[in-house]
Amino acid sequence: MRIGNGTKLDALCGEYVLGTLRGAARRRFERALREEPRVALQLRYWQALFAPRYSKMIELQPSPQGWRRLERELGLARHRAPWHRRAAFWRAWAAAATAALAFGIGFQLLRPAPEVTPLLEIAQLTGKVDVSRVTARLSRDGRTLELSAARAVLAGPAQSYELWLLPAEGGAPVSLAVLGSLDARFALPPGQVGRLRTGAKLAVSVEPAGGSPTGAPTGAVILVGEITA
Amino acid sequence: MLDDKEVRRLLLRTAARDEGSAEAFERLYRSCAPLLLGVARRIVGRRELAEEVLHDGYCAIWRTAESFDALAAQPVAWMVAIVRNRAIDVRASHDVSRVDSYHDAPDDDPEGALDRLFDWSPDEGDNEDRRRASKWLRDCLGKLKAAERQALVLAYEHGLSHGDLAAHLRKPLGTVKTWVRRGMANLRECVEACMVGPR
Repeated sequence: MRIGNGTKLDALCGEYVLGTLRGAARRRFERALREEPRVALQLRYWQALFAPRYSKMIELQPSPQGWRRLERELGLARHRAPWHRRAAFWRAWAAAATAALAFGIGFQLLRPAPEVTPLLEIAQLTGKVDVSRVTARLSRDGRTLELSAARAVLAGPAQSYELWLLPAEGGAPVSLAVLGSLDARFALPPGQVGRLRTGAKLAVSVEPAGGSPTGAPTGAVILVGEITA
Repeated sequence: MLDDKEVRRLLLRTAARDEGSAEAFERLYRSCAPLLLGVARRIVGRRELAEEVLHDGYCAIWRTAESFDALAAQPVAWMVAIVRNRAIDVRASHDVSRVDSYHDAPDDDPEGALDRLFDWSPDEGDNEDRRRASKWLRDCLGKLKAAERQALVLAYEHGLSHGDLAAHLRKPLGTVKTWVRRGMANLRECVEACMVGPR
């Protein structure tokens, strides 16, 4: 249904903005608003004209449960970015990484250089996200594994990286090491020597500091790569 | 409180319904909920009802963010309008006027209320148009007849209907309706005169 022109429409818009248009009259107006562009246009004019900014003095702090209830009822978890894509996470990570790197460099200077053994590249670990490509190299005797990241990647203060072997023959992932940095060299657990064969995979997950509490990956798997040599 | 540009960005991000929409919506909540709760509380009177209005208002903002007009000059005003409409409905359905509407007695000093309720000082984020529009509105509200101004301020601040206004001001319904209608018409005429007149 069409509502009046000119002065009448103007008055309706004014009362709608003010809040005194009620009941059936308001419902008619809102229907016209959806159906008749000139009504929307006129209302926009009024909204621009009558838009006082409220003073901060009227603000009230909502109860703390308010947000949680909204989040639950609207199912907002579906619309959240995964942790590794959140800017806040990366900002915190960058700060922690910088601190850890500074500490690490100081520490490195005090440490004797590790003995050099020839290493063969066995896998490239990559992630869906551009975390950092990590190259895995195995010593000739198969006892020492080295990871080197294209860019330095260090775990935050409350987390560790855990390296897993996904055996070629299937079965549960086996933990190979808990790491604070994706640049590392370590001795493989004796039971796993010889199992890093073609067809098996290496994967890195993010775990609580100290590694997975369950013995199986619990956090996001950020890198994975197949062993090719 | 965020500036209009940031609120607009967050509303559009909320409407996108992608990864990160929830974060944008949460920022809208954290930054604007105190203001919107204050607005609701002035209309429904009771704190617990105001919290319900805030909840419903944010549900509506989440659902209808896609219809937010990206060109709207004032995105905060868009959210305020949603919450005010909801508060006015709740006020009507709870018959707040008879329960304890005047628990915050509506101001009988509308001139003072104008400056307590609203912030007329130019905001950093305002462009020149917005600054001028705000000044014109304040000046023109000041030029209205006292009875018209009082009716408009009471209606806007407390979400009073014509009937509520008549009861509160102890005037016939017809008189109050005329004040509101003439008040708004005079306001518009005055602001338009400012637009074309010398600055």
